[in-house]
Amino acid sequence: MKTSSSYTAIAYLFLAPALILMGLFTFWPVGYNAYLAFNDYSIVDATATWNNFEHFKYLYHEELFHDALKNSLIFLLVVPVLQVAALLVAKLVNNKLPGMTFFRAAYYIPVITAVPIAGVAWLNVYRYDGLLSWFLKTIGIIQNDVNWLGEPEIAIYMVMVFTFWKGIGYYMVLYLAGLQAIPAEVEEAAILDGANAWQRFWKITVPMVKPTILLCTLLSTIAALKSFQEVVVLTRGQADTYTALYYVYAQAFTNFNFGRASAAGLVITFFCVLLAIVQFRFFGEKK
Amino acid sequence: MANSQIVGSVPSNKPLFAFRKVFSLLAHYAGLVAFAIFTCFPFLWALSVALSMDPSNIWLFPRSFLPTDPGVGWFERVFSEIKFFTYLGNSAIISFWTIVGAVVVSILAGYPLARLRFPGRGLIFIAIIATMMLPQEVAIIPNFVTFKHLGDLSEAVFGFKVTGLNTYSAAVLPYVSTAFGIFLMKQAFEQIPQDLIDAARVDGATEMQILWRVMVPVSAPSIAALSIFTLVNAWNEFIWTGIVIQDKLKMPLSVGMFNDLTGPFAVSTSMVMAGIVLSIVPVLIFFAFTQRYFISGLDGAVK
Repeated sequence: MKTSSSYTAIAYLFLAPALILMGLFTFWPVGYNAYLAFNDYSIVDATATWNNFEHFKYLYHEELFHDALKNSLIFLLVVPVLQVAALLVAKLVNNKLPGMTFFRAAYYIPVITAVPIAGVAWLNVYRYDGLLSWFLKTIGIIQNDVNWLGEPEIAIYMVMVFTFWKGIGYYMVLYLAGLQAIPAEVEEAAILDGANAWQRFWKITVPMVKPTILLCTLLSTIAALKSFQEVVVLTRGQADTYTALYYVYAQAFTNFNFGRASAAGLVITFFCVLLAIVQFRFFGEKK
Repeated sequence: MANSQIVGSVPSNKPLFAFRKVFSLLAHYAGLVAFAIFTCFPFLWALSVALSMDPSNIWLFPRSFLPTDPGVGWFERVFSEIKFFTYLGNSAIISFWTIVGAVVVSILAGYPLARLRFPGRGLIFIAIIATMMLPQEVAIIPNFVTFKHLGDLSEAVFGFKVTGLNTYSAAVLPYVSTAFGIFLMKQAFEQIPQDLIDAARVDGATEMQILWRVMVPVSAPSIAALSIFTLVNAWNEFIWTGIVIQDKLKMPLSVGMFNDLTGPFAVSTSMVMAGIVLSIVPVLIFFAFTQRYFISGLDGAVK
């Protein structure tokens, strides 16, 4: 039998590849990002020069960054809608009726499609004379074509619809896993006691999948706060659709201002950590 | 749709009025079909437009959901005008190495976290899980700088780029060690009976042998799930990959197709639609064969 000290050596040996890679590509970047936030970085000769809080002062006064933060907060509205819909859809496909495999697959297809590819398809839906305009004109909701991604008042919500469409299958599968862990006897007993579908949903389903609901809410809140791929693909920030991370991306790879981008990134990291702490508190109380 | 959940999976012994049963069954399927149309319509539409040799088909809603003058000419143009097979090959190489790396690293890290007692275990686990909360996207800039330096360094030492910008490894390495993978394997290993491990230890097996001969074979479903998820993520990643790989000959499908489809030379919407259809076909075929693992594999992550 081995002693516990030899287990320690083995444990760290096994963990080494994971920790080295994570250190290099996750922990170090967060630290280096914080360092760059206080510097001017030149991509030409890869040098950094200290410039105090200048980037933060700039961000504090810049309207575009404020709008980006505001849009990221607006984006959080997608979370409750997505979670309720995903749970209902999971309920719909959680039975042994014929064709369920097909429907589950159909709902998962947007998840496995690359964002740019799905985005190009949606660009044709959102075009001013595109599919959405045609559909709403046909059922009489609008009279004239609308450039869905060009109007500052609505463009960000159109991006959110895309996020909803892309993400619902993912959360559906998570909820499905949660639903299938509910023993069939529990629901059978409730039916015998005369509980109707509505009562069964609130008194059995929701409490039983509560851990999954909390997990999914946490995951999708963080995902919503970090959204920017869909902005890259759909609008490139036009029509007031900058999100906080899109701002970082644009500052870094359009303006090549890595310092300012890093400062904005640090602000977002701060918000993410704050949010995670709040949600962990929430988790803790529920347990 | 809300009404249709009246139909549960639970068989009831109580007699129901037949018409009510039929009605709720119909409502259930109506909800399912309506939602399937919502999730699939962009692709069905793309397919129809791509198969229409008449390019004006795209303007003809709702008729454009059926091809006019059907033919595969647009697909032929995608193959001749876009480096489709080059991109496909690059996607395959990048995905393959990401999966191999993620599986090996997650198995190695998951085992001690699940089954060995050692100082620092709790702290390491929290640190790994905490990375889920950090916006990995802010790592793009530092990682870009890191790979620039690594490239310069390897050129100075070896005379050529072992890694660095415009290498496949730049697309692979940041996605190998993930909290999700390590967490999934830890959960899988925790469910294996201790007797199996004790028996192997009595027989004189080393920890490495226990891991690869005892733990890994029993955890095949979780490893399959991890591989599938890694594949989908690696196949679809495009922001980071698009930044580090600027060389057209090394671009994966997601980056190359998006650039070509939305770039200045993409004049024909019909060809764009054909490109969309072609680029999701590999994922769909793969998904068709593995979809049952998606759900069973996620089971472990949720519990």
